Amino acid sequence: MSRLNLSRFGTLLAFVALCVGFSIAAPQAFASQANVYNLVQQMATLAIVATAATLVMTISEFDLSVGYSASLAAVVCFVLFAAGYDVWVAVPAALLASVAGGVVNGILVARFGIPSFVATLAVGTILSGFAFGASGGASLFRGMPEGFKAVGRGDFYGVPVLAVWIVVVVGIAAFVLAKTEFGRRLRAIGGNRLAAHLAGLPVMRDTIVTFAVAGFLSALAGLLLAARLGSVQHTMGEPLLLPAYAAVFIGTTASPTGAPTVAGTLLGVAITGVLANGMTILGIDPFIQKIMTGVIIIAAVLLRRLGRTQ
Amino acid sequence: MVGLVGHNGAGKSTLIKIVAGAQRADAGAIALDGTPVAIENPHDAYAAGIRVIHQDAPLVPEFDTVENCFLGRPYPRRFGTIDRTAMRKTIAQVAADIAPDLPLDVPVAFLPPAEKQFVRLLRAISDKGRILVLDEPTAALPAEDAHRFYAVIERMRAQGTAVLLVSHRLDEIAEFCDRAVVLRDGKLVAAFAGAELTPANLITAMGGTAPAATHRPPIGETATDMLVIDGLVTREMRTPVSFTVKAGEVVALYGLAGSGRSSLLQTIWGAEAPVAGAIRIEGEAYRPKSPRDAVRAGVSYVPADRHRTGLFADFDLVFNNTLPLLSSHRVAPGLPLPDTRAERSAFMMAAERVAMVFTSPRQLARTLSGGNQQKLLFSRWANRHSRVMLLDEPTEGVDVMAKRTIKEIVHMIAADGNAVLVSTSDREEALELADRILVCRDGAVVASFTRAEATPGALSAAAQAKVAS
Repeated sequence: MSRLNLSRFGTLLAFVALCVGFSIAAPQAFASQANVYNLVQQMATLAIVATAATLVMTISEFDLSVGYSASLAAVVCFVLFAAGYDVWVAVPAALLASVAGGVVNGILVARFGIPSFVATLAVGTILSGFAFGASGGASLFRGMPEGFKAVGRGDFYGVPVLAVWIVVVVGIAAFVLAKTEFGRRLRAIGGNRLAAHLAGLPVMRDTIVTFAVAGFLSALAGLLLAARLGSVQHTMGEPLLLPAYAAVFIGTTASPTGAPTVAGTLLGVAITGVLANGMTILGIDPFIQKIMTGVIIIAAVLLRRLGRTQ
Repeated sequence: MVGLVGHNGAGKSTLIKIVAGAQRADAGAIALDGTPVAIENPHDAYAAGIRVIHQDAPLVPEFDTVENCFLGRPYPRRFGTIDRTAMRKTIAQVAADIAPDLPLDVPVAFLPPAEKQFVRLLRAISDKGRILVLDEPTAALPAEDAHRFYAVIERMRAQGTAVLLVSHRLDEIAEFCDRAVVLRDGKLVAAFAGAELTPANLITAMGGTAPAATHRPPIGETATDMLVIDGLVTREMRTPVSFTVKAGEVVALYGLAGSGRSSLLQTIWGAEAPVAGAIRIEGEAYRPKSPRDAVRAGVSYVPADRHRTGLFADFDLVFNNTLPLLSSHRVAPGLPLPDTRAERSAFMMAAERVAMVFTSPRQLARTLSGGNQQKLLFSRWANRHSRVMLLDEPTEGVDVMAKRTIKEIVHMIAADGNAVLVSTSDREEALELADRILVCRDGAVVASFTRAEATPGALSAAAQAKVAS
């Protein structure tokens, strides 16, 4: 981008300021290699789910099923592990389950015109029911192959493997949105759905594909989380939903038109991640952390508004 | 009643905003009844009795006329609750004078565009309005409804309301206004009254030349039958329609909003499924399931209501220009990655063909003037060879100069061998553009005129629904 303005960089500056601030306040604990490693691991699942949310928000829709979808994939995978199936069966089956959920979301929204907020909430609830049923409400950890653990916990030439996942997923998503015809169409649909349809774009198909991709990415996040923790609960993905959208909204403050971007979302994930991590290190009460996080989201979006009206 | 005319950017909107209190004047004064008044905000303007009716001012669709009129006003109360009876009485009194037939208790969503315009008018004057500023009040209305609207304005004027009318329809200014002032580049350059108040004089003062009558060669009998409509029935066009548009011919579908003409275009464009009948292009059966199929078959389309259905306002000009034919600008064949350099040069070429005025290909579409936004919708198709061109209200809400350019573009498209089908509620546009005019009324094509036969009176008579009253 050739045109740069201060309000866009404000978000990036805020992130840098947070990092500098915590580094000064807790030089040993925050800026240590171990903590950065830890931080990246904590951020990975959220980054991927937030990327899914970004894609759906690009077409001006919401997907509230991302967290449930992540849980379902993890449960399906571990139920199959426990039944003695190997990775090559369990992982595809898990991904497929969530993609199916995404396709249903897409069809309800694109074909039947149900507002995405309602459709994805309902589908998400159904998915969580399946996850509950399949897991029996219990914690699953039996039968996990050692190799599977490596995709979530290992090292890749000294870099945590989850960091590699972030780079791959975010990189592909950013490329697709910015540089491909599909990405261009999604932005057009988000900008003016009716005009996109009347310009001859395959709006219905693209909408369904977008929700399916969101399901896929949520499943991926769920599986990585399961691999990192080594066990699965049927509700484990749910806490991802709100922080994912918080990250997307913080990210929109860094985009020129206020539209969601993958890079902006990653910045949003990093800000919320660093904030939580830094405050924990400083020993700030968890309830204050929550209040602070909420205040910061409002402040970011508000500053952006003020910057725009001038 | 004073007309205010000028091209887009001449300063009409700024002037209206100052009068309405939405913008402050740098210098000068406004006087009401000879006394200077300070109008510093919209509230001052309202208190002074100034009522501005903006083009397409929003109404709450679920509210009826009475409720819409009371929006933003204190409700009459009775026992602490809203007194609906008193509200209705207040509005009915005013309505009895200006529009006795206007339904008061029906949600305005169910009212046709002309009635909605009366609701806006009623809302403006029902609370002690005495100066009425009308911004393009008839832009979306066919001539017949426009006349009905002005008849009401005329009556209000007779009762002592002052009216300032802004309109691109210069014939309306000439017909209904007592005087007219012309703005150009932010200056008042001319004023006309009486016999001098003619469209030709206005156009000269605005800084254009009077539109020359376009002479187009007649379409030869031998020209190909490009688009054949055979017994087509659509959602709104309920009586089967059959007609042919030859290559190089411009056919206009003229009629009121809701007469079925838009629905016909949408059906040919694949956005609406036909109820019955067939379409052929160059003799081949054509059954589009979506606009995508239409694009592939060499059909192009410029939708009505560009803000809602055409433009991607927050995207740049190149993005807007390329979107429908995205896959024809790839970095390599078969690879779905847009080639931005090719897109840009394609845009420059297309923009030149439609005489678009812009500062940068990267500027956002919303920053263009109305006329240039409309040209942007034409430029999307300018680089390819279409067979059929569908135009829905192609010059809606654009100024006189842009209208002329667009007319020339339409004739250029026809000269390229396209069958051009225009849907319009603008009688003059139909007369100036088309080789043949089909008049639509109540879901049927009721009359057909060649260019030589068509007269304004004959068109209006045919389009006017015969209401037994």
